[in-house]
Amino acid sequence: MSTQASTSGSVNEARGRRSAEDVEDSKKHFRVCRFIIDTGVKLGMRSVPMATACALYHRFFQSASLQVYEPYLVAMSAIYLAGKVEEQHLRTRDIINVCHRYFHPEREPLELDGKFWELRDSIVQCELLILRQLNFQVSFEHPHKYLLQYLLSVRSLLNRHAWSRTPIAETALAVLKDSYHGTVCVHHKPQHLALTSLYLALQTYGVQLPRGELEWWQVVCADITKAQIETIMSELLQLYDMEAKCT
Amino acid sequence: MERDLLRQSVSYHGENLMLLLKCEQSENPDFKRVAADLSKTPNQRDKEEGSPVLEQFIARKADLLFAPSWKTSTPADERQEESGEAHAVMPPLEQFMEVCFEERRELFYRDVERGDLVIGRINSVRDFGLFVTLLCTAGGLERNIEDLEIKALCPLRCVPSTGNHDDPLSYYQIGDLLRAGVKGIDRYHEKLTLSLYSSSLPPHLDKVKLGVISKEDLPLHYSRGEKVTADSSQTYEKLLESSLGLSNPLNVDYLLGKLGISDTQTPSLMRGLQSKHFKEDDFATAIRKKQSVSWALKCVKVGVGHFKSRRYVEAMNEYNKALEIDTNNVEALVARGALYATKGSLMKAIEDFELALENCPTHRNAKKYLCQTLVERGGQLEEEEKLVTAEGLYKRAILLDNTFQGAAEALAKLQLRIQKSLELKEQEAAKEQEKTKTVETSAEKLRKILKEEKRMKKKRKRSTSSSTSSDTSSTSSDDDSSTSRKKSKKRKHKRRRSSHGSKKHKRRASSCSDKMADDDIEWFPAPANTSASYIDQKQSISKLISEGEQSWEKSRCEDGRGRLDDAIDRSLENLKHGAQSETSRPGRPNVNGEVRDQHRTQSISECARNRRDSSSSTQSEYSQKSDRYSKEFSSQGRDRSESERDDGRKSSGGSLKKDIPSNLLDIFSQIAEFEKEKKLQK
Repeated sequence: MSTQASTSGSVNEARGRRSAEDVEDSKKHFRVCRFIIDTGVKLGMRSVPMATACALYHRFFQSASLQVYEPYLVAMSAIYLAGKVEEQHLRTRDIINVCHRYFHPEREPLELDGKFWELRDSIVQCELLILRQLNFQVSFEHPHKYLLQYLLSVRSLLNRHAWSRTPIAETALAVLKDSYHGTVCVHHKPQHLALTSLYLALQTYGVQLPRGELEWWQVVCADITKAQIETIMSELLQLYDMEAKCT
Repeated sequence: MERDLLRQSVSYHGENLMLLLKCEQSENPDFKRVAADLSKTPNQRDKEEGSPVLEQFIARKADLLFAPSWKTSTPADERQEESGEAHAVMPPLEQFMEVCFEERRELFYRDVERGDLVIGRINSVRDFGLFVTLLCTAGGLERNIEDLEIKALCPLRCVPSTGNHDDPLSYYQIGDLLRAGVKGIDRYHEKLTLSLYSSSLPPHLDKVKLGVISKEDLPLHYSRGEKVTADSSQTYEKLLESSLGLSNPLNVDYLLGKLGISDTQTPSLMRGLQSKHFKEDDFATAIRKKQSVSWALKCVKVGVGHFKSRRYVEAMNEYNKALEIDTNNVEALVARGALYATKGSLMKAIEDFELALENCPTHRNAKKYLCQTLVERGGQLEEEEKLVTAEGLYKRAILLDNTFQGAAEALAKLQLRIQKSLELKEQEAAKEQEKTKTVETSAEKLRKILKEEKRMKKKRKRSTSSSTSSDTSSTSSDDDSSTSRKKSKKRKHKRRRSSHGSKKHKRRASSCSDKMADDDIEWFPAPANTSASYIDQKQSISKLISEGEQSWEKSRCEDGRGRLDDAIDRSLENLKHGAQSETSRPGRPNVNGEVRDQHRTQSISECARNRRDSSSSTQSEYSQKSDRYSKEFSSQGRDRSESERDDGRKSSGGSLKKDIPSNLLDIFSQIAEFEKEKKLQK
């Protein structure tokens, strides 16, 4: 009995340690993803390439360890790779400039000297590393296009004036963009994510949609249940709580 | 805060939300304003469906969610779909949702607006209009209305006439598919009025063709909807996945555009990602620019080092490199301009300085160098006698920097110089005026002499001549038509001319002199440009001129070449009015002038030659020419002038002509002097 208790105690302890680590890790990931999105905005990245960059990062660290790899370097390479994958090519010079400024806001831009070229080399090396870690499967299907299609369909259900005064599209897109701070993007199907963000937006404003035999979200995604939507929604909303803790 | 939105949200979620909002947004002044109104709204929602997490979220983010600036999308106009699916076109969601009949009908009548497009089938044609059963919507709304059996009327006045005075309704038949615009709605009585005129549609739908359509023109969402009703296994998802529009890589961009949301500025609900936290300096383009500037400056510094050590080629390379890194870099442009100026390419230097000043109008060095270069260039132009341009440059330099002494001095000097040259020209003009006057008086004398001579010769022989040809040629070759007419008249009087013999020559001379007498006042032939230096006697110039006139008279008449005549006219005009600036010659092209000058010099030299050689060789040469001339024209006057000239050359002949030779020489000398002076002034 006592051994059991002690083992369970130690197991619990281990679990506790692990969850503590996990919490720390997820905070770290949160910060790095914030860094990715921030840099993306400054580089003028479109939503889909930015989503790809975050997805690459999350995927990478699903199998890799934070102790071994420097997350910020991985993030920079992920941005570079995402630009190539989604056809919005970014220059390493710009990436390095923005990142350098992020970390050292008071300093002048880097001189184009030996140190600069070393940094550039390390980004390119890391890119290759990411590719290998992900088995060269770097194309993702993102929720964005689904979300936009659903928005169009839902728009047809509403009165045009109600639509034009309710910022449903903006809220849904914002929620989707913010979801990339966490690993939701790699754990769920893109259709589900899209649906959930739209659902969330509609709920926020209390928009009433016509009722038929089926709910609109049942039509749009046949295999989703209300419970699932709720789960995803809570995951999304947790991210906002995390912001308070991390930054 | 958007009050209505907030109210809608609160009424949906209930009291809980209200409480949470008060708690979270207590510091928000906007919220306080609307809070009072909200507490009165009733609760519409069932309690068990409440989602506390969501409510918490809404409460926390309310200042963002309900802010008026949150709604960034600008509703883009509904343009008709182009061919090729940019995004997946889906049938109306209502259809999938299987919304009930009543509700759909109700919603349709609630939401349809004037200017919407509908498609329906004609079910009866009456004399007051068409009755149409609606099939589907084609723009503005997307609803499933086929089974609603909504009937609409298209009155006669809204049916456009086909133009051949038939009854317009005869064009339409029962069962036709019709696309029409909604003109009027009576929501209470659920009546619709349609119109087939484009004026009933909003401007962005102007191109849509109203009237009878075929099955192919039915909108995609309707045809897809039909497929769905036919095949119940087709779900929304399946349809979406299978549609081409979904696989379009650019559909996200397209759809964002359609919804009116910008892709690079997508909103976020995270506090740290709000746009106000982003500084302009942190953006990639700004940093890159700063980096390029500093890199370019380094190159410029190296280049300046080269420049100081007189290694101009390397310096230029560095400057060009700097400009490649950062185009329009001010320092690089100024340095390069200085290099150009030192090497002598002043125009390029000026270009570079100007470009630099465009980018940075307060750059001290650029201004200074530009001033200096402008003044230098002005100096160059002055030497090339382009005084006006030089003046312009000096003025610009002064404008740029009015403390620059060099420019002001140079401008003053130049202006003095211009003034001087103008004065000189005026003096010349005055001289000319005098000369013409004196010329006139001596011309009169000569006229008298020649008239006497003419009379004498008339008494002698009279030869026939074809004066008409001479007349015509003279008229054609002469600008002064009036004078030519006079000349022709005179020639007609003296018809009987012969083409050979000295007597003819003499007669020609007389007739020419007659003409000359008439023309004296209007024009003078070109003075002979003798290179021999003779005594400068103003009085004899006039004689010279009139002599020249005689000789030129011939050439003027005979070949009928307007140029020579022009030369004669205008060169004399020049003499009259003095050497004003070359450019002020009224309407005479320079080429012509050159030709004139050439001819003039040719003929003048010819004369000179003739004059000098008193040998018969020139004489014969001359007479050959005169023969040639006389072939074209045979008039007594010509003969006379020829002979006169011959006589003049021989320095022998009648007593009448004894005076003339010496005077001729003098006149020629005067003319030579004149020519020299003119050339100098050029």
